Amino acid sequence: MRDTLLTQITTNLAGSNVKVSSELPFNNGGEVLYMKNKKHFYLDAEQEAREEFIKCLDKNDVEQTTTTLNGYLTVDAKNQPGDISNVVASILSANSVITNTIDNSAGVTTEIENDAITYTFEFNFITII
Amino acid sequence: MAVINVSAGSQAVLQLAPSADDLANVAANVMTVPQMQDITINNSTGVFRFKTLDNTAESAVTTPATNQLSLNVVVDETTFFGSGNADVGAVIETGLFGVSSSKTKVFFRAYFSDPDTSGSKYLEGSGFISGLSPTVNMDAPVWISPVTIEVDGDFAEGEEA
Repeated sequence: MRDTLLTQITTNLAGSNVKVSSELPFNNGGEVLYMKNKKHFYLDAEQEAREEFIKCLDKNDVEQTTTTLNGYLTVDAKNQPGDISNVVASILSANSVITNTIDNSAGVTTEIENDAITYTFEFNFITII
Repeated sequence: MAVINVSAGSQAVLQLAPSADDLANVAANVMTVPQMQDITINNSTGVFRFKTLDNTAESAVTTPATNQLSLNVVVDETTFFGSGNADVGAVIETGLFGVSSSKTKVFFRAYFSDPDTSGSKYLEGSGFISGLSPTVNMDAPVWISPVTIEVDGDFAEGEEA
């Protein structure tokens, strides 16, 4: 799922001021990569939660899987890229590439620290097994 | 006292077959209904009440019982529409929908505990499947259907050999 989403985001951001990294947003020398490498989008590893959706007497339960992926993009807060609105919209709209879900949502929050603004994206995909 | 709990997943089992003999002897012809969410066995004795001038309370006599099995299942395609295999009897061949629409009598056993364990109690009888009403929506995106077996006659208590 991460690969599919990352590929779509890469396609959506082609020609923009933001590049997409395939690396995970790990810490490097005490600093997370997206803070270090501004204007680079990082997509974290999948987080998966399974729960019973329908309980059955024979234990053949129907399960619901919620997959969550977080993405990070940091840019200069004072001089944001001119196309930042389009970049955010393009990242959010990439969620439609994931199919066979019963719920598919994406959202973004921002946080300013010193002179940098970090966009944190959250993608949620719910599937039934 | 022995409480029967269904936590093992092998209790509360409903078996259906095209004949009583199949139910007892021909395992291949027996459908074990999968993915039941719940099952309710109704043995509702009718009551006729009447008042008399010399009595301060109503009198009552029983009338024949209405027997019924009702359950909710997650719709399994093969179980619901049948396997199409004519060698294994009408229930498995045509599925729950098939025997309902053709009004074919089915024979059932409702086990209270594990059918593979000797001494397990069950109620058996025969009846007609009705009340199918498969439903699905985006908040509950899996087909689910109620199933009712309108029992023809009495329940008979039995014990697995």
